[in-house]
Amino acid sequence: MKTIVIDPVTRIEGHAKITISLNEEGKVDDAKIHVTQYRGFEKFCEGRMYSEMPALTARTCGICPVSHVIASTKAIDEILAITPPQAGINIRKIINLAQILQSHTLNFFHLSSPDFIYGFDAPKEDRNIFKMMQTHPQMARDGIKLRAFGQKIIEELGGKRIHPTGVVPGGAAHKIELSQKEIILAQIPDMLKIAQGALEFFKTNLHKFQKEIDSFAAFPSLFMALTNKDKTLEHYNGTLCFMDSDGNIIKDAIEPRDYKEFIGEAVEEDSYLKSPYYKPLGYPQGMYRVGPLARLNIASTCGTPLADEELKKFKALHGGKPVLNSFYYHYARLIEIIYTIEKIEELLNDEETMSENVKATSSVSKTKGVGCSEAPRGTLFHEYHVTKEGVITGVNLIIATGNNNLAMNAGVKQVAQAFVDSKNITDGALNRVEAVIRCFDPCLSCSTHALGILSSKIEIVDHNKKIVKVIDRS
Amino acid sequence: MRVVVGYGNELRGEDAFGVDVIKELEKFHLKNTKLISAFQLTPEIVLELLEADEIIFIDACNNEKNHYALACSLSEQSRFNLSHHISPKTIVAMLESLYEKHPNFFIYSMMTDSFSKIIEFKKYEECVDAVVKELLKNDY
Repeated sequence: MKTIVIDPVTRIEGHAKITISLNEEGKVDDAKIHVTQYRGFEKFCEGRMYSEMPALTARTCGICPVSHVIASTKAIDEILAITPPQAGINIRKIINLAQILQSHTLNFFHLSSPDFIYGFDAPKEDRNIFKMMQTHPQMARDGIKLRAFGQKIIEELGGKRIHPTGVVPGGAAHKIELSQKEIILAQIPDMLKIAQGALEFFKTNLHKFQKEIDSFAAFPSLFMALTNKDKTLEHYNGTLCFMDSDGNIIKDAIEPRDYKEFIGEAVEEDSYLKSPYYKPLGYPQGMYRVGPLARLNIASTCGTPLADEELKKFKALHGGKPVLNSFYYHYARLIEIIYTIEKIEELLNDEETMSENVKATSSVSKTKGVGCSEAPRGTLFHEYHVTKEGVITGVNLIIATGNNNLAMNAGVKQVAQAFVDSKNITDGALNRVEAVIRCFDPCLSCSTHALGILSSKIEIVDHNKKIVKVIDRS
Repeated sequence: MRVVVGYGNELRGEDAFGVDVIKELEKFHLKNTKLISAFQLTPEIVLELLEADEIIFIDACNNEKNHYALACSLSEQSRFNLSHHISPKTIVAMLESLYEKHPNFFIYSMMTDSFSKIIEFKKYEECVDAVVKELLKNDY
C-alpha cells in the first residue's frame, strides 16, 4: 500500500495533514484528514470563575471569537438564570451576523476564489490571492471592503474587532448610539451590491465544476442546525433540528441543553479533532453535516427578501430535496452573506434595538449552563459546570468544525478516489483533495484546542505502510 | 501622512511590543502621524493606510540569539501567508496592486523568544523607548 501525505493543507484556518492510502493496484483505499493541533481549553478553564469564560474562550480563535463569546455568554445566562433584555439580544445578534459575514467573506474572496477563477488544475503559483489581485483587482477590493464592513460592526458594537468585550453575560455592555446605527445603515446598499455580485460570479462559473460538484463530499448524510418553529433561518435562538438526506425531519425541537442525549463524541487516535455523531444511529453511521449547507437545507425560508429569492434557486438544485453536494457550501455561504446584510439592517431598524436597557444582572442560580449558537461553520456548543460560588468545574465544547469531521473524512476519501491515481499524481488532483476540505471552511484552531506550526502536509502510503510521496506546503 | 502600525497580542508577553510602542506614542499627540494598534495584521487594514506615504510596522520578531536587539526592515518575512493574518509586505503589495499606492515602509522589530511573559522589564522598556524616540525624531 502506498500513502500520499499532504502537509500542510493550505488556505484553511489552522493546521492539518491528509493521508491517502493506496492499495496494491495503486487505487485509493482510504483517505483521512488529521488535525495536528491541540489546544486544551476544556481543561485549563477549570478552576476559573464563570465570569471569565467569555474572554477566555474567545481566545480559542482569531477568526470566530464572536461565536465563542455568544455561546459562552448564553451558557452563563443559563447559570445566572437570566434573560437578557431584547436590545441586548438584538445587539448580540447583530454582532453574530457581522461575524458570519466577515468569516464567509474571508473564505470566498481570499481562500476559495482562486480555485474558481483559475481552476483546480492551474499552476499552484497562480492559485492564490496575489494572482487574483493582478487579474481581478475589483473582486479583491470588494472582498476587502465587505470584510471590513463586518469587522467594523464588531468593533463598533463589541468594542474590538478581535476578541470583542461588548457581549457580556446578561446582554450587551453598551447601547447602540444613533450615529453608529446611521454609519452602518448607510453602507448597506453598497455591501448588498458586492454580495450579489459575488453570488452572480459564482453561479455564472458553476458549469465549469460539474466533476467537482459530483465528487466533493457529495453523499447522503444527516444535517443539523438551529431553527425556529416555523423553520426560518436562525443563528442565535431556536432549537436543534436533524434532517435526513431525503428531507425528512428525524428529530426536531431539541433544546440545546439536551444536546448530549442526541450527540455522541467519538475520538480517533490519529486526530485531535473530535468526531461528533447522531447518537440514535451510532458511530460512525450517525454522520451529520452542519454549517451553511445544513442551515439552508433545514430552513424553509430565510425571512429576508433577497436571500429568499436566492434560497428558492438553491432549493431547486435538488428538486426541493436537501442539497447533498458539499461544493454547494460555497453557494450557501454566499446566500448567507446576503442574508446577514439584510438582517443587520432589519435589526438596526427595530426600535427595541436602540433601547438603553441592554443588560440584566443576577448571581449564580444553577450549576450547569449550555450555550448554543450558529457560528459561520455550524452549530457551536459551550457547556459549563460551576460550584455554587461560580468556580468552573467542567467544560465541554463542541465546535462547529468538529461536527463536520466525519463528513470531511468521507469527503476526502471520495475526492481522492475520484481524482488520485498512483501512476499519475498531479498537483491538480491533490489540490482538489485540499479543496474539498475548504468547502467546509474548517476552523481547526478553534476546534481542537494547540501550539501550531505554520499551516498544513499530503502523505501517500503504499500497501506496506511506506510513505512514497509527501507534499509539504509549509 | 505617516502611519505607524504596532501589532501583537498583549496576553503573550513580549509579543505586545508593537502595541506598547503605540501606547507610548499616543501620549505625544503627534501632528502628522496616524497610530494604529492591532492584534494582528488583517487584509482590511489596507483601507486605513490609503492616505499613507510612509508606513512603519512595529512587531516582535522570533529570534533566540539576540534577545532585545532592535532591527529595521527585516527581509525574511514571507509575502505568501494569507489566511487570517498577513505580513507587512503583503499589506504593501495589496496597496500597490489594488490601490496604486506606493508608500515607503519600514519594519521595526524587537528580537525575542519570549511569547509567554516579559523576561526583563527594564530591557523591554528600553526597547520601547528607543523606538519611540526614533519615531518622534521624524514627526514631520
